Order: sequence, then structure tokens, then C-alpha cells
Amino acid sequence: MKCTECSFEAPVEKFRYLYNARIDASISLRQCPQCQAWLATDELAGEATQKVGPGEAPWGKSAGIEGLAEDAAS
Amino acid sequence: MAAQPAKDTSTQELEQKQEWWWIAEKKRSKRLDYLRKAVWKKGALGGNYAPGIKVDLEIPQLFTNMWNFWRYDPPMLRRAKSMAHVLENMPIFITDHAQLVGYMGTLPHTLAWRVDGATMVNEELYNEPGVMPEPEQASLKRVADLNAYWAGNTAVDKLARVLDPEDAVKFLSGAIGWGAPTSAYGYSGKDYEFMFAQRHGFEDILDLIDQSIEKAEDLTMGNPGPEILPVYDRIQNWDAMKIMLNAAIAYARRYARLARILAEHYETDPKRKEELLRLAQTCENVPAKAPSTFQESLQYDHFVQILARLEAHEGAWPARPDYYHWPMYEKDVIKEKNITREEALDLVGEFMIRAYEVGGFGPRWAREGLQGITGTWVWTLGGVNKDGSDACNDLTLAFLQAARLVRVANPTFGFRWHPKVRDEVMREVFECIRHGLGYPSIRNDPLLIQNAMHWHGHPLEEARTWVHQACMSPCPTTKHGVQPMRMASATANCAKMVEYALHNGYDHVVQMQMGPKTGDARKFKTFDELFAAWTTQMKWLINTLVRTVNLGRYKDPEFYGRPFLSAISERAVESGLDVVSPVGDRGNCWVTGFTWVENADSLAAVKKLVFDEKRYTMDDLLNALENNWNGYEQMRRDFVNDAPKWGNDDDFVDGIMVRCLQEVAKHSREIKCPSGNSWPLLPENVSGNIHYSSIVGALPNGRRLGDALYDGGISPGPGLDKKGPSAVLKSCGKIDHVGDGRAFLLNQRLSPSQLAGEKGYQLWKAYIRTWADLGLDHVQFNMVSDETLRAAQKDPEKYQEVIVRVAGYSAHFVDISRKTQDNIIQRTVQGI
Repeated sequence: MKCTECSFEAPVEKFRYLYNARIDASISLRQCPQCQAWLATDELAGEATQKVGPGEAPWGKSAGIEGLAEDAAS
Repeated sequence: MAAQPAKDTSTQELEQKQEWWWIAEKKRSKRLDYLRKAVWKKGALGGNYAPGIKVDLEIPQLFTNMWNFWRYDPPMLRRAKSMAHVLENMPIFITDHAQLVGYMGTLPHTLAWRVDGATMVNEELYNEPGVMPEPEQASLKRVADLNAYWAGNTAVDKLARVLDPEDAVKFLSGAIGWGAPTSAYGYSGKDYEFMFAQRHGFEDILDLIDQSIEKAEDLTMGNPGPEILPVYDRIQNWDAMKIMLNAAIAYARRYARLARILAEHYETDPKRKEELLRLAQTCENVPAKAPSTFQESLQYDHFVQILARLEAHEGAWPARPDYYHWPMYEKDVIKEKNITREEALDLVGEFMIRAYEVGGFGPRWAREGLQGITGTWVWTLGGVNKDGSDACNDLTLAFLQAARLVRVANPTFGFRWHPKVRDEVMREVFECIRHGLGYPSIRNDPLLIQNAMHWHGHPLEEARTWVHQACMSPCPTTKHGVQPMRMASATANCAKMVEYALHNGYDHVVQMQMGPKTGDARKFKTFDELFAAWTTQMKWLINTLVRTVNLGRYKDPEFYGRPFLSAISERAVESGLDVVSPVGDRGNCWVTGFTWVENADSLAAVKKLVFDEKRYTMDDLLNALENNWNGYEQMRRDFVNDAPKWGNDDDFVDGIMVRCLQEVAKHSREIKCPSGNSWPLLPENVSGNIHYSSIVGALPNGRRLGDALYDGGISPGPGLDKKGPSAVLKSCGKIDHVGDGRAFLLNQRLSPSQLAGEKGYQLWKAYIRTWADLGLDHVQFNMVSDETLRAAQKDPEKYQEVIVRVAGYSAHFVDISRKTQDNIIQRTVQGI
């Protein structure tokens, strides 16, 4: 998996697992061991999607990850 | 407070924007506005104390000095003399504009430190940057000296030495439960019937004790025999109670003196001068005498609560203020019109603020488990009188109205709903919920009275006096019903039951054999084998906790003891026994079931996907769990989305939930508390679902180690209740809320826009009717939109006053961790 912020690359399990955004979706929050950024991670694809911050974002339910509920329902 | 005042915005506009905190600020009196803003927030932000909050070192120092001086005295007498020294010498203060006084620290920004409770808590002081009073180095030296004195001699240290070593290691691992089985960290019920209903001031109680001592002394003068030997101990206990009562009267009169000095020498405003003189008179009268005005009634109650908190670290606040303060309210506001209703509302609001001010230092695990607050102050409102008639009154309304004006996260209310509650009262209850306070929670009064009689044999009249002992658990306020310490009860991390059943009792997180070896789950061929393993682990876990706390309860008079609490409890005043003794207590124990619903969802997932449909094997499952679902994402999604989940009116999983509860209920009747009564389960979480997220391993419901657990009680997993609010209620209605456990917490999120206006109220009222008809005992609501919560995450400064219901308590949204915030937002917003 590649960090979207600093481009650090390592197997997904090397990125510290924080918690899921929703139990019924494949999106979780992981932390880059190099730059410490919180990353939205697609667990099915094993890919970092984007950095998670308090700002607007296209998916999720909480701030920064809005839209995930709709994603999970679909 | 929030960043920008809304002077130019109309109330109507603010209502539309659901910015209720601005409305409160516009509507409350100048006094309440000042007092609300002047109070220091003691609840931890996530797990950390707010800047400026300091630990009080004066009281621990005063206490320790006298404790050392009286080292040859018996425990209760030694504690009483040490506490009396504290009350005589601790600095006191009166907040500007206040009409009520009393705090458990020496300054408004200090946290009380229970120095004689537990060494492991004392050592936590070193880990908290910023909490030491300046100069820091000198304070650290004082703390080190105090800790050196108490190391090995605190209540928990003493208890740890007598516990079964294996039990102690498992209990203290933090994996299976929490809490310390000592009254040093208590949820003490107060004998309100004795103090308020029977109208005993402390001088009246002193007279009763003198009569008891006289009788006892007569006994000891009679023929010698073994039966008189316990009498000597009791006389010493009565002496200890007398010391506490006299010290408490003197402590209150120190406030009277301070108020009088301020009035006569410093105050220039004639109105405030008059208030200070009234305050002085109030503190001269109470607690010495039974209250004769509404202000005295509130002040008496507040003194009792503060004095109890100076004696022990109290984690809850069992109280029923609209019931016990009603006689004086009725006299002053309704009958004699000595004060106006607005003046009374000011007193009620301040009464809540004084409680919000209270805070004691807690270890990190406790702060994480109760984010944003320092204890669960759940006050009970409504309900019925002892004869079964409606107890709601104008003071009930005043409390509900004052709550919306002061908007504190602590205390909160639990409202005892019953079919005779008037519409006027229900509207006020709804307004609090609609204003986003997250309280009152709604409790089914007839059902809980029946439950109290069923499980603990409380007589009907006594059961009808019940208050929330902590977040949820009902307890009478009577001579034999009142419960003197929290760790008369146990708190279980229930998700470990299914985790251990799957891992042969081994805990992969703390890496220890915890539960019994119930067999290699990879070899289980049927669901019944798994369920049998679950039952064995469940019994083991509950037994380990219960026998630990039973021992703690039995030894508590020797290891800690409560002379003040004894002095205000009729059974202790009568018997001369420490009130924490199980003797004379009917027994009202319960096992708090944290992280409970994960059991039903996990067992159902295994039954369906492994044993019924055979889509996966137990090998597949155990491999996935041991890898924390890493590399098994599609399978994890199947376990979440293809297995039925609690809260959708699905008999498959609901049947498993009921079966699990009935197994526990059966066991609850077999195990006994030290008073000989049962131990029913009470599923609820506070924010233990976040605390335990890094302690509970991966589960078959699709949860990984690290994920928040469900938000507790019998609430469905966040976002997993997909079939609407009726389906949630129907699932919950399959549980027997009398016979299957002591109480069951249900969190629900409702849409604030749907519930606007009269139509919204009628919808909610119909929902409550369905809830009652289905026989549920509890429900509580969050009614803050996702948009507001997300906005608060992005710009917390602007949303300092947004309150949410976390679990059995409310907190300011910005004070809880991001993980807890996310967990609340994940909960389904139900349309009704």
C-alpha cells in the first residue's frame, strides 16, 4: 500500500490499523508509519484512498469521511 | 463557551438552525449565565484534563497528617477524626452570585484526590502533565511523600493482599472487567427517606445516636457474656458517626461565617448583601436542622453530596430531587409564595451547576471509559409516590426547564415514565430531548418496580422510591434498600465471553490463559458445542468478578469504611454497624454488562455461515480472527452483511440474544451477594466500548481489534439496524425486561428535522407508547443531526456547547475522542 501523503510503500499491515469507519463497509482508518497521516483505506483492494482530516471528503459519515453510509447501503 | 454570541439572531432563526445553546444563553437569567460560564469543566477531554485543572493537594495532606496521628484508633474512628480535621481546616470559597455553596476541593479549579483509595491510581498522578499545582516541582515532591506514605496501605492494596492470587491477576489485567471493589470508589446511595421524608437534620440524628449509645452502655453494664462484645465496637462506630455529624455542622457554619463576613464587610450591592445574609442563615440551619425553605432543602442535599464526596470518590449521584425537594418547593413557591417561580428556577439551575462543578481525579482507564465527565450523575425525575399515584409536580417541570437553560452534561436525568404522566410533563421531557441534551432517558416505571420486586424482593412501597444508582440500575432510597457502595456490583467486559469460547479460554490480547479450557473451537461440529463453551466462559467470567467484589464488600468496613455515610443512613444509625457492611442491606447487586450485544451477533454469524450454511469452516474463521481479519476482507464482509444482526426483528439472531440472556439469568439466581440476594445482568456501556476497543480481539461479527465495540446495552450495532425503529423495538421487546435481567440500555438516534413542531411531538409520543406496549425498560435519544456533529468535528470552537448522549450519560461532543465521536455518528438516524 502506498501512502497518499508521503508515498511511503509497504504491505497494508505495516500501516497501523486504527479503526473502521463503519463495520459494514471495507473502509478503515490506518496510520502511515512514516508521516503519521491518517489514511482512509480500502481493505478489499488494500489501497490508501486519501488522507483523513476534519475537512470535507467524498465518502464516510463523520467529518472528513462523509458519504460512506450511502456507499455501504448501495 | 461558544466562540460568537448570537445577539442579533432571532430565537426563531436559532431554533431553525437547532443552535439551542444560543437560545439558552438568551433566555437564562444573568445570574445563571454568570454561574454557568464561571464553572470549571472537570470532565476529561477524551482522556486528558482541560488546561488549568489542578489536583487538590491540600485535602490529601490534611487527611494524611491526622490519619498518621490517630494510627492506633479503630478504622471507622480513625477515618472520622481525620475527616473532621479536613472539614475544620480546608480552605472554602463562595462563588460570586452563588446562592448555594460547597465543593470537594479547596479551589474551584481543583480535582479531589482520594489519596487512600489505591496506589495504582495515586501513581497515575505522575503520568498527567499539567495537573500539578504550581510550583510543579514542589507539588511533585508533596505527591511523592504522600504516595510513599500510602504505598501498600490504601484500601485496594489491603484488599489485593487477601484476594485469591489468580483472581487478582485476572481481575487486574483489565481484560474482563473494571472497577475497584472498595467503597473508596463508590456509588453510594443516600437514605433520602431518613433525611428528607422523615425530616432528620444532623442534630436529630445525633440525638438518635445518643439514645442508642445509652442503651448499648446499659447493656455492657449488665451480666458479662459474649453477646455484649460486639457492642463495644458499635459504640466506637457511633462515636465516629457523631464526630462526622458535628464536623459537618461546623463545616456548614464556616460557610455561614464567610457569607456573613462578605456581607457585612465587603459587599456593596444591597441585593447581593441580602443574598449573602440569607446564605449565611441557610448554612446555619442546614444540615444541623431539617430544611424549612426550598433553598435550605437544596443546600442540605448539596452538603450531603459534597460531604460524601470528601469521604470517598463517588462515581455516581443517586438522587430524586423533584420528589424530595417538592415539600419545600410547594411551601415556598406555591402555598406561601415566599419566592417567585423564576427565583426558584434560578436555584434549580444553580443546583445543577454546583453538581456539574464536582470533579475527582481518576485514572486514565476511568477517564476513557467516561469521556467528558467525571462520573455518571443521573438524577431521577417523575415516577410514582409510595401509594402508586403520579409523583410528577411543578418541580419536575422546573428541573426540565432549568436543564435547557444551563445545558450541563452532568447531571443528566432519567425520567420514570408511567401511564399516568400528564401531557404537560411529557412535553417538557420531549423539549429537553429536542434541544439535543440527550436526556432525560425514559424509564418504564411500572416495569422497573416489578423488576425490583422480582430480583431483589424489595417490597412494593420501597420499590416505588427507586432512583438511578448509577446510569441505569434502580435502587430504593430506604433503610434496607439503599446501596452503600458501587462495588456491591460488578462490571463485566462481556465480549470476552464469545472471544474465550472461540479461543479455548486463551486471551490473545493480554496473552494469558484467562477462562477455562472449553475445547479447541476448530473441532466444534455443532453450534451447541460452541454455545456450551460460551456458557462455561460466561459463568467463569461473572463468577470471577462477583467473588472478587463480594470479598471486597465483606472486608470494606475493615479496609475503608464510611463514617459519614453511616451517619446519614438509618440502618447504620440504628445498628451501630458501618453502612457498607452487608448486614441489614437487602441486596441490590447487578452485573453491569459492557460489550454485550457482540455475543449475540457473533454467535449468530457463526451459526449461520459455519454450521447452517457451511460457507466457511471453523478453521477458516479461527484463521481469520487470529489474523485480525487481515487478508480476509471479503469473508469479514460476509460475516457482517450476510449474517443476521440484532435490532432488525429477525428471529434467528433475536432468539440467540434471548437464549444468552436466559442462560445468564439462570446463573444470576445461583450466585449470591454478601446479603444473600441475586446478581442479575444489566447490559450497558458508558463509553467502555471505546476503552475496550484495544482490549477485545477480532470477533465473528466482523469487528477487528481496535474497532469500537457497539454502543451498548441492547442497542444494535451502529448502522446495522437497517429495518427502522419499529424493528429495533420489536427485537428488544422479545426480551423479558423483568425476568431476563435488571435493566437494558437502548440508544436511539432520531431526526431533529422530522421531530420539529407539534407533529414531531405527537410522533415521538406515539413512539413512546409503542416502546411501553412492547415492555421495554429504557430508551434514550440523540437528536442532533449528522450535519451539526460533522460541523462540530471540523470547527470545535464554534460548537463547544453541543451535547450528545454517549451511553448512560451525556457529554459535550467536543470533549469526547474522535473515535467516540465517529462511533456516535455511525449510529443510524431513525425516521419514525
